[in-house]
Amino acid sequence: MKTQLAINTYLKETGGWVASQLEACTRCGICAEACHFYQALGNPEYAPIWKLEPLRRAYEQRFTVAGKLKLALGLEKKLTDADLEHWSKIVYEACTVCNKCAHVCPMGIELGPLIHEVRAGMAAAGVVPGDLAEATEKQKTIGSPLGVTDEMWRERIDWITDEWEVDIPVDKAGAETLVVFTSIELMKFPDNLAAIAQILNKAGENWTASSKGREVVNFGYFEADEELTKLFMYRVFRAAEELGVKKIVISECGHAYDAFRWTAPNIMKVPKGVEILHISEYIHELWKTGRIKLKEGAFDSETITFHDSCKIQRRGGIIKQPRELLKVLAPTSFKEMTPNKAQAMCCGGGGGVISIKEADANRYAVFKMKLEQLQEIKAQSVCMVCSNCRLQFVDSLAHFNSTVKVHGLAELVAKALV
Amino acid sequence: MKEKTIYEHLRDKGLSRRDFMKLCGTIAGMMGLEFAPPVKALGKLTHPSPTEVVAQALKTKPRLPIIWLEFQDCAGCSEAISRSSSPSLGNLVLNDIAIEYHETLMAAAGFQAEKAKEECMRKYWGKYVLVVEGSPTLADDGIYCTVAGKSNLDLLKEAAAGAAAIIATGNCASFGGIPAARPNPTRACGVADLIKDKPVVNIPGCPAIPEVTTGTILHFLVMGELPKTDHFKRPLPFYGHTIHDHCLRRPFYEAGKFAESFDDEGARQGYCLYKLGCKGPTTYNACAALKWERGLSYPVQSGHPCLGCSEPHFWDGGGFYEGQSAPTIILDKVSTATLVGAGVAVGAALAGVNAVKKSRAKKTLKKAASPETGTEAETKKEA
Amino acid sequence: MDWTEILRFSRGPLLHVAMMIFIVGMSYRLVKVILLGWERDRAANKGSKLWGVILNYLKGLLVLPFIPWVRRTFRNNALTFIAGGLFHLSLFVVLAFGTAHILVWKSLFGISWKSLPTPVVAFFSAAGIISLIVLLINRLTHPVLKLLTKLPIWINWVMVFLPMITGFIMARHLWFRYEVIFSLHLISVSLLLIWIPLGRISHFLFYFFSKTIHGAQAGKRAIMP
Repeated sequence: MKTQLAINTYLKETGGWVASQLEACTRCGICAEACHFYQALGNPEYAPIWKLEPLRRAYEQRFTVAGKLKLALGLEKKLTDADLEHWSKIVYEACTVCNKCAHVCPMGIELGPLIHEVRAGMAAAGVVPGDLAEATEKQKTIGSPLGVTDEMWRERIDWITDEWEVDIPVDKAGAETLVVFTSIELMKFPDNLAAIAQILNKAGENWTASSKGREVVNFGYFEADEELTKLFMYRVFRAAEELGVKKIVISECGHAYDAFRWTAPNIMKVPKGVEILHISEYIHELWKTGRIKLKEGAFDSETITFHDSCKIQRRGGIIKQPRELLKVLAPTSFKEMTPNKAQAMCCGGGGGVISIKEADANRYAVFKMKLEQLQEIKAQSVCMVCSNCRLQFVDSLAHFNSTVKVHGLAELVAKALV
Repeated sequence: MKEKTIYEHLRDKGLSRRDFMKLCGTIAGMMGLEFAPPVKALGKLTHPSPTEVVAQALKTKPRLPIIWLEFQDCAGCSEAISRSSSPSLGNLVLNDIAIEYHETLMAAAGFQAEKAKEECMRKYWGKYVLVVEGSPTLADDGIYCTVAGKSNLDLLKEAAAGAAAIIATGNCASFGGIPAARPNPTRACGVADLIKDKPVVNIPGCPAIPEVTTGTILHFLVMGELPKTDHFKRPLPFYGHTIHDHCLRRPFYEAGKFAESFDDEGARQGYCLYKLGCKGPTTYNACAALKWERGLSYPVQSGHPCLGCSEPHFWDGGGFYEGQSAPTIILDKVSTATLVGAGVAVGAALAGVNAVKKSRAKKTLKKAASPETGTEAETKKEA
Repeated sequence: MDWTEILRFSRGPLLHVAMMIFIVGMSYRLVKVILLGWERDRAANKGSKLWGVILNYLKGLLVLPFIPWVRRTFRNNALTFIAGGLFHLSLFVVLAFGTAHILVWKSLFGISWKSLPTPVVAFFSAAGIISLIVLLINRLTHPVLKLLTKLPIWINWVMVFLPMITGFIMARHLWFRYEVIFSLHLISVSLLLIWIPLGRISHFLFYFFSKTIHGAQAGKRAIMP
C-alpha cells in the first residue's frame, strides 16, 4: 500500500522533463564525487544517481518497454515497502538537495529536483524520518516546526523589540513590504532578526511582519509533500494579500526562498504583482540605491569568509550581492573558500537533514570537510545568509571545538550602519 | 603408335634446345610459380628449379587435349586469351602444347565442328581438360542456351563426364557472372554448382586474366593436377592476395590521400581510388601482379577503381562507383518518413496508455490524501 | 555460406533491417518521452534561460575539465573524465573523418567531405579502444559504478566495443581476411543499431534534453551552469 502511494506519486510527477533526464543518464558515476555525503562517508549508495533509484524503477517499470522487459527477465525487482524504507534513509538523511551534482553531471541532469521528486513519493507513502515528520506536523498544527505558538511568537517579538531597542511593526496596515522570518531566527538567532529590523528601519522602509504569515520555513518542502508545501506558503501569501503588500522579503532561509521564488508559481496561486525577494538581495538593493550607508572596513580586523548556501546562491543566483557587501565591510580581510559560489560545498544541514537526529553523524562528517575549507584559508569568522546553514555551523563548530565565529550577513550589515 | 611428347613435337617444328629451355622458364613464370613461395606452390618439388620441373614434364608428356565450351557468355575470355600479353606464347600453348576443340576459334563450323568435338572426346576420354566459358543455365532445363539442339546442361554433363579436370574461366562460368545478376531470369550458375564429381578450378574475372587461364592449364600439364585453390576454387598462386594488397596506390591509401572525383587534382596525382568505389580490398585477383596487355597496365593503374570482377555477385554488390563501405540498400526519403511515422505512431499510442496510467495515479492519490491536509490550500488552488 | 556471402548479407539486408529498427525505435523512444507532458515554468526569470543553455553546451562540449571550479570534481574522477572524453572525441573523429565512414554518410545523406589522414584516424581509433577498456576496468573496480552497473550496462559496453575493435582491425588490415573482418564489423554495427533504442546508449539523444533543462534552469537563476 505504501509502495503503491509512492509509485502513484512518481507516475504523477513523471513528466517529460523527469523521463528525459532519467533516460539521459549513462551511469558514469561522476555525480558521486560531487556529493559531500559520498565524499565524506564513502558509501556508494550516497551517489546522487542512486538516490533516484525508486523514481527510475517506477518510471521504467510502468512506462517503458525496456523496464518491463527487465522485470520479466528478472533483472530487476519491483519496488517494495522495504525499498522505500531503505531509500528514505538515503534521500532524507544523506542528501541536502543541494544540487551540486547537477553541475558536474556531463549530461547536466538536474539531480536535486529529481531527488525532491523521490522524496515526494516517500512523503506520500509516509516513509519519512520521525523527527522530520514530527517537525512538519508541528508546523501544520502549531504553525512552526519549532513549536512556536502565536502567543510565544508575539512574546518573542516583544522581547526582541525591548532587548535590541528596535521597532518591529506587526500586521501594520498599508505596509509595502512583508518580511517573513524563520522560527530559527526567532528562537536561536534573535540578533539577526533584530538586525534585519534595524536595517529596514534605517532605510525608512515601510515594512511589517505578520502574525498570520509568521513562518517562512517550509517543512512540507523538506518532506516534499506538495499539499503541505502549498499550505505553508499559502499562509504567507494570504497574509500578504490581506496586508496588501508589494513585496515579500524572505529572511535568511534557503529552502523557503527556493519554494517561494521558484516553486510556488508552478504549484499554486500566488498573489499577483507581489515581488519575492531574499533579504540579502534586498539589503544589497538598499545599499546600492543609497538608502543605507555602511562603514567601510567595519570588519576588516579578522579573516572573514562567505559560505554559499545551496538554495540561495547555487539555486537562487544571489551570488554577487553578498560579496559586494562583504567587500565593503571587509575589503582586505575577506577571503573566498574553495570551492565557492555556484560550486560551493553545502554545509550538510540543509534539506531538513539538521532536524533529523539519526543524520547527525552524516552531518558532522560532511561538516568536517567544510571545516577543512575554513581552515585552509585560516578563516576566523564566517558569514552566511541562511539560518539553517547557520544552525549547522554553530552546532558543528561546537562539535569540533572550533573557534570560528558565525555571523548572519544582516547582523554584520546592521553593525556597520552609519 | 606412341604419341609424341611435347618436346618432340616442338623439336619437329624446329625449336632449338636453348629456346626450349627459355620457354620452360617462361612457362614456369606463367604458372604463377614466380610469385608464390616456391616451397608452398610446388609442395613435393623443392630441389629442382621450376624451369627443370617444366622441362622434365614437356620432355615426357604428350600434348594436352583441351575442349573449350561456351555457354551464356560474351566470348570476352576467349577474346582476351587470343590477344593476351604474349600472342606467340598464347598460340604456342593453344597450338603446340595443347590440342583443342574451341567452337569460336576453330576453322570448322556446323556438323564438322560437332564431329570434331565428338572425335576429340572419344579419343581422349578421361584425359582431356574441359574449359568452360560462360554460365550454364538451370531454368527450364537449360533451354535458354543450346548448341546444335542440345541444351547447355546436357552438353556440359556430357563433356564433363570424360574430363580429367574442369577449368571454369571468367566470372560467368565460375559464379554465374553477369547472366546471374538480379533477377537472374535464366537461373545462371557456376560450373562447380553443377559438376560435383570432377575437380573444378575457377578462374573468375571479367574477363579472366589470360595468363591465369593458360597458367592453370600449364600447371595441370606440368604437375598432373590442378593447382591448390581457395574456398572459391580459385588457384591460390593467382588469387592469394587482394588487389588492395598489391596496389601501387596503396601508399596513398595509408596516407589517407584519396581522389574525390575522376577529374580532380587527387586523380591526376594518382591518389587512392577507394572513395570512387574501388572494391580492391575484397577482390582477390592477380591484376596488380600480372597486369594486362603485356604487363602494360590494369584498371587501378589506369585510374579506374576495381569493380571486384573476380568475386561472386560483383554485379550486384552496390554501385561500381559507390564506396565499398556504404550500405547496399539505402533507405529512401519516403520509407524513412514511414519508419519515423511508425515509431511516432507506436510511441504516441503507448504514450496514451501512459497518460491514462498517470491520470489514474493522480486520481488514486487524491482519494488517498487525507481531506484535512488539503482543505486550506486546496480551495485556493488553481482550477 | 562463405564470408563473401555473409558480407553481402550484412552490407545489405542486415544493415538495412538494423537501420530500420533503429529509426523506428528511436522515434518511438523520443515520442514516448516527449508525450509524457511538459509543465510550463511560471516562475519569473532572474537571468536569461537561453544564455544559460548556450553556456551549458559550451561547458559540456569544450571546456568542462578546464573550468577551475570543476577541477575539484575533475581531480576526484579524472579517469572517467579523461577516458570518457577521449572515447567520445575518438568516436567523433573516427565516425566523421574516417574515409570509410565518410562514404557511408555520403551514400546515406549525399554529402561528403575530406577525410583525415589515415594514421590520425588510426590513432584516435586506438585511443578510443584503450579508453573504453580503461572505462571497463574502472567500472569493474569503482564501488559506485559496481553498484550502478547492471546487466544492460555490461551489454552496452560489449555492443560498443565490438564495432570499434573490428573496425580498427579492418582498417589496419590485421590478422583477418578483409571480407571476414568487414562482415564482423557490419554485423556488430547492426547489432549495436538494434540495441541502441533499447538501452542507455540512446543518451546521445536525451543528452540534448537534460543539457538544455540544466542550462535553462541555471540561466533562469542567473548562475553559471
